[in-house]
Amino acid sequence: MPRLLRPRVSSKETLRKLADEELMALVAGSDADAFEVVLERHADAAFSLAYRICGRRALAEEIAQESFLAVWRSGARYDRARGSVRTWTLGIVHNRAIDTLRRSGTQEHQRVSDEGIDERLEAPERTELQAVDSAVADDVRAALTALPDEQRRVIELAYFGGFTHVEIASMLDAPVGTVKGRMRLGLRKLRGELRGWEAVGT
Amino acid sequence: MSPHESDFDCPQLLDAAAYVLGALEHDELARYREHMQGCAECRAEVAELQLVVDELPAGVPRLQAPEALRERILASARSEAAVLHAAGHHADRPVRARRRLRSPGAVLLGGGAAVVAAVAVVLAIALSGSSPVRERISRGVVTANAPGASATLHIRDGHADLIVAHMPEPGRGRIYEVWLLKRGSAEPAPTSALFGVTVAGSGAVDVPASLGQVKEVLVTSEPLGGSAHPTRKPVIAVAVS
Repeated sequence: MPRLLRPRVSSKETLRKLADEELMALVAGSDADAFEVVLERHADAAFSLAYRICGRRALAEEIAQESFLAVWRSGARYDRARGSVRTWTLGIVHNRAIDTLRRSGTQEHQRVSDEGIDERLEAPERTELQAVDSAVADDVRAALTALPDEQRRVIELAYFGGFTHVEIASMLDAPVGTVKGRMRLGLRKLRGELRGWEAVGT
Repeated sequence: MSPHESDFDCPQLLDAAAYVLGALEHDELARYREHMQGCAECRAEVAELQLVVDELPAGVPRLQAPEALRERILASARSEAAVLHAAGHHADRPVRARRRLRSPGAVLLGGGAAVVAAVAVVLAIALSGSSPVRERISRGVVTANAPGASATLHIRDGHADLIVAHMPEPGRGRIYEVWLLKRGSAEPAPTSALFGVTVAGSGAVDVPASLGQVKEVLVTSEPLGGSAHPTRKPVIAVAVS
């Protein structure tokens, strides 16, 4: 794993100029100021993802907190060759959120995914949370919306709902192989769109 | 062969999408992981589709993380950093160790050691017969990529047990091995303590030595039978206080 030697930087301003990957090298050395900058950059995305998956504010906060502390404690495991700091962090959030959802029991799990995200976001909590949108978000959403419903639904049930393809097949009354096929078609189509997103950069 | 057919050269290629979406059943997942090791086509498909999955969070309605949440997270990190720095510059040590060990053939301790932290040391009093026996519990740092994974070292009468929960399996044909890193020593010493975990990720093992001179108890995944020198980075590190 490529390593940066630890530069001795202390000023917050200097830290804010560093790339995420450089900050992570400092976090690996238990530099809490560097961690603060990483937190500043990714806390909204982490909280939003956790909220999208579990649908409850208190739970989303708990998941975001555990995830960032995992980033803090295992910063040395971050390997830039395997993706950006944001992707790595959100991967941790996703794992924990899905794990929480699955452990919460079948009924709760079912409830969360039966309600559409729009319904859930109309909950009273919504008003306390300030929505911050971006152009990239619009692109990703537009690409998802452009998918045939049956493909978007299986992708969302799996990724945001934590259901296996067998569970999805039974929920949708579809043959098992069909669900895998829809997942593949949907992701392949999104992959085509993604080439455009890469050009824009995030 | 048409381009469409060549898409499905490997019959398992269909599983790639379900795999990156985390939607394979437990047994399928194990089989597919094994299959991928020998199938470049599936590995390439998984890498390609993973890029898409990595972008899915961007489409989530964007909310602002509550200020109190940020403050709590940062406060935890700062207090742990203070403990680390107070406990003898732990934070600096792994970097030096890494450079020293970089000679050819040397084992890189790497990541796991860098985050060694006695996160919590709990003193518990357990009643054994009539005399109170002190049990000291040290929580370790787990760097395995597993949600909720934990490791605690229970020391009682100079005897230590390592208890883990929610740990991933050590890998096919592998087992977890316990190592002891002594004070003033750069490389951990092997022990005869080897263990696996249940499907739920639980496991427990006796640490077969006195912890007198030991500053850290480490765990790595090793080939069955164990190794004389660690061949992988530690997945668990418990600082012995």
